[in-house]
Amino acid sequence: MSLLKLEHVSYQYDSASPVVLKDIDFEFDSGKIYAIVGKSGAGKTTLLSILSSLAAPTEGTILLNGEDITKTDKYKFRSRYVGVIFQSFNLLPHLTALENVILSMNISGKKFDRKEKEMAMELLKKVGLSEEEAHRRVLKLSGGQQQRVAIARALSYDPGIILADEPTGNLDVDTQQEIIGIFRMLAKEGKCVILVTHSPEVAKSADQIYELKKQ
Amino acid sequence: MYIIKNAVKSITRNKLRNVLLGIIVFVIAVSACVALSIREAADVAKKDALEGLTITAQISFDRMSAMEQMAKPEEASGQEETGDEQTTPEEPQGGFDRGGFDFDILQGSSLSLDEYLTYTEAQQEGDSYYYSGAFSLDATGDLLPYGTEEEDATEAPDEGNASSINDRRGGMENGQMGDPQAMGGRGGKRFQVNEGDFSVTGYSSYDAMLGMFDENGSYSVTEGEIFDEDSEALDCIISSELALYNDLEVGDTIVLCNPECEEETYSLKVTGIYTNETSSSQENNRFAMNDPANNIYISYKAAEAILSASEAAANTTTDSDGEETSVVLSDTLAFTYTFANVDHYNTFAERVYDLGLSEEYRVSSEDVAAFENSITPLETLSGAAFWFFVIVLAVGAVILVTLNIFNLRERKYEVGVLTAIGMKKSKVAVQFIFELFIVTFAAIILGAGVGAAASVPVTNALLADQIEKTQQSQETTNERFGFKDGRGEAPAGDIGGDPNAGEKGSGGRFDRSGTAQNYVNSVSTATNIHVILQLICVGILLTVISGLAALISIMRYEPLKILSDRT
Ligand SMILES: Nc1ncnc2c1ncn2[C@@H]1O[C@H](COP(=O)(O)OP(=O)(O)OP(=O)(O)O)[C@@H](O)[C@H]1O
Ligand SMILES: [Mg+2]
Repeated sequence: MSLLKLEHVSYQYDSASPVVLKDIDFEFDSGKIYAIVGKSGAGKTTLLSILSSLAAPTEGTILLNGEDITKTDKYKFRSRYVGVIFQSFNLLPHLTALENVILSMNISGKKFDRKEKEMAMELLKKVGLSEEEAHRRVLKLSGGQQQRVAIARALSYDPGIILADEPTGNLDVDTQQEIIGIFRMLAKEGKCVILVTHSPEVAKSADQIYELKKQ
Repeated sequence: MYIIKNAVKSITRNKLRNVLLGIIVFVIAVSACVALSIREAADVAKKDALEGLTITAQISFDRMSAMEQMAKPEEASGQEETGDEQTTPEEPQGGFDRGGFDFDILQGSSLSLDEYLTYTEAQQEGDSYYYSGAFSLDATGDLLPYGTEEEDATEAPDEGNASSINDRRGGMENGQMGDPQAMGGRGGKRFQVNEGDFSVTGYSSYDAMLGMFDENGSYSVTEGEIFDEDSEALDCIISSELALYNDLEVGDTIVLCNPECEEETYSLKVTGIYTNETSSSQENNRFAMNDPANNIYISYKAAEAILSASEAAANTTTDSDGEETSVVLSDTLAFTYTFANVDHYNTFAERVYDLGLSEEYRVSSEDVAAFENSITPLETLSGAAFWFFVIVLAVGAVILVTLNIFNLRERKYEVGVLTAIGMKKSKVAVQFIFELFIVTFAAIILGAGVGAAASVPVTNALLADQIEKTQQSQETTNERFGFKDGRGEAPAGDIGGDPNAGEKGSGGRFDRSGTAQNYVNSVSTATNIHVILQLICVGILLTVISGLAALISIMRYEPLKILSDRT
């Protein structure tokens, strides 16, 4: 049984707007990297929203370990089981990079074997932020640095599923490789990594590619 | 826990927003604190004044209304119903009928002691009463009333007496003696005048003399001691002036007689000599009985003993027409009811009519009137403060809600992010409300501090202003009354004309004295725990009102909508 299974999923933002996703049947398993590709406006971000239960499918079901995720506590699902790297990061600008990461750890309500601050700092260093940058307010970080903070935040509470919307879009080739390396490692640890990307290079590193067609 | 940390962080990282919020709440808090303090000060002052107030009341005959009744011819039948046995002489019809006034009713309308005591049934627990009876006695032998010359008395005592009576009567006509009803005494005949050198007053208890002897009174027994209040023995206290004038000491006995009958004598033992600080300042002591130095005080039981002895003697006098008149001594009764509180007084004033008091009498209390007068400025201020408070709160709440709606629009994105990463909406709401709470209470604490410091001077300044206004209105009243030199004093409302009544110092109905000592004119501590508690309630109320706006908007927000709106 696959970890995540989409059955005939369709989505429409509201009844007046056109259908964005139509009759999607995707399957995702643990320990693998998936790439979702498609033209701009094809509905990649929309699909991630549905996968992170920010939006409920208009039709069809999403099964998490065989269970309908609309029936689970969506806040708990978001805060514990799925780590999302948003296309526009969605960081809190008045908090520092470190505080953003710690906040997510706090919201998850998980118990950690070490101090949150220590773990968060370690993670930020791992994605390539200096200690000084980690203490800076997000407002004062560059796009690439913000992206790395968003990645660190998504990984901070050790979720089983990673959803990333153009995670390397603002990064140089070297850093891009580094980040892909991290995703590989996460997949090896048994996590399910789902990437949305325009980059063929990133898509190549995936175990499986799903393509979305614009409706 | 992280919610609180987050709230504090959020406040410190968004200073401008929170300082603005804080200033608004601060202004509300200062205004509310001052307004509430004024109300509290008014309440406290009122309560203090009420607790310190001994309410005394009298029943008095409303003579004017009785006279008005008699003046109306069509009311004549009603007049007969009042139990008038004496038929007034027939007067020719037409013109004003002066004979229509029945002085037996008008003068003999003082209540008897028994009647007064009946009405005490309308009193409640904690209430009390006392009374005094005053009558006149003449000097005998070497004894001379203070202020009379020896020649007058020794030359021709009878003539002297007669002339002094005439003088006094002349005085009455000039309005110097005050209430003629008072002189008539209970059951007294129209032209019977039994007044003499000394005014002898019997008191039912020491309570009845408290006004004279307590710290506000001007009397004190300086030699010997006061008579026993429960004793029938003819013990008395006399003034130091009288003692000095007649070389009297404690233990001496003075012999007095019925002014109309020299043979009817009474021996009073002097147990104490009192000094009266104000007696020397009294003006126009032209008549012996009018001089407080000639006041002799005894217990009411002793007075009763004298009166019943006089009744038993039943002496009569024969006038020039050969008509015999009784010269039995009678006293003028002053009966005072005391009440534990204003409610008791009000109940009494209603119930007493059920106990048979005629509608022609009215119950009045100078204390209650004076008290109500004294708190008028404070009450006015308190009322104004209340409305000020309501307006400040209403306007403040509107401003706060508006400000919060603006703040929330700005924070919409924050709500979107927090919920998108899995924070429950309810927790987000708690955090936001907690932020409001912290800012509101910090501002309220500051505001309460400033308000508390400001409230006393502000209250006192406003109060002084209010007193001035009240006084101006009284001045207008005085002007309308035609008082040009400040003689605005209303006559003392005591029935029976107790000679001491004037000394109790009824404040005067339209007092225009500049000192305003009749008013509660300052407060000391305005802000107390009461006010602080009320302010805390105000704080909670403001937080809830503005927090409610936050709660409603947060609950309405959908993270997907918010976040996609931005991109
Ligand atoms: N909140 C929204 N309400 C209505 N329509 C929306 C909303 N968000 C996106 N859409 C529409 O849904 C379609 C899919 O959008 P989506 O953001 O999923 O595309 P995408 O594949 O992520 O594009 P890109 O590669 O540019 O990020 C688009 O046509 C877009 O206009
Ligand atoms: Mg997209």
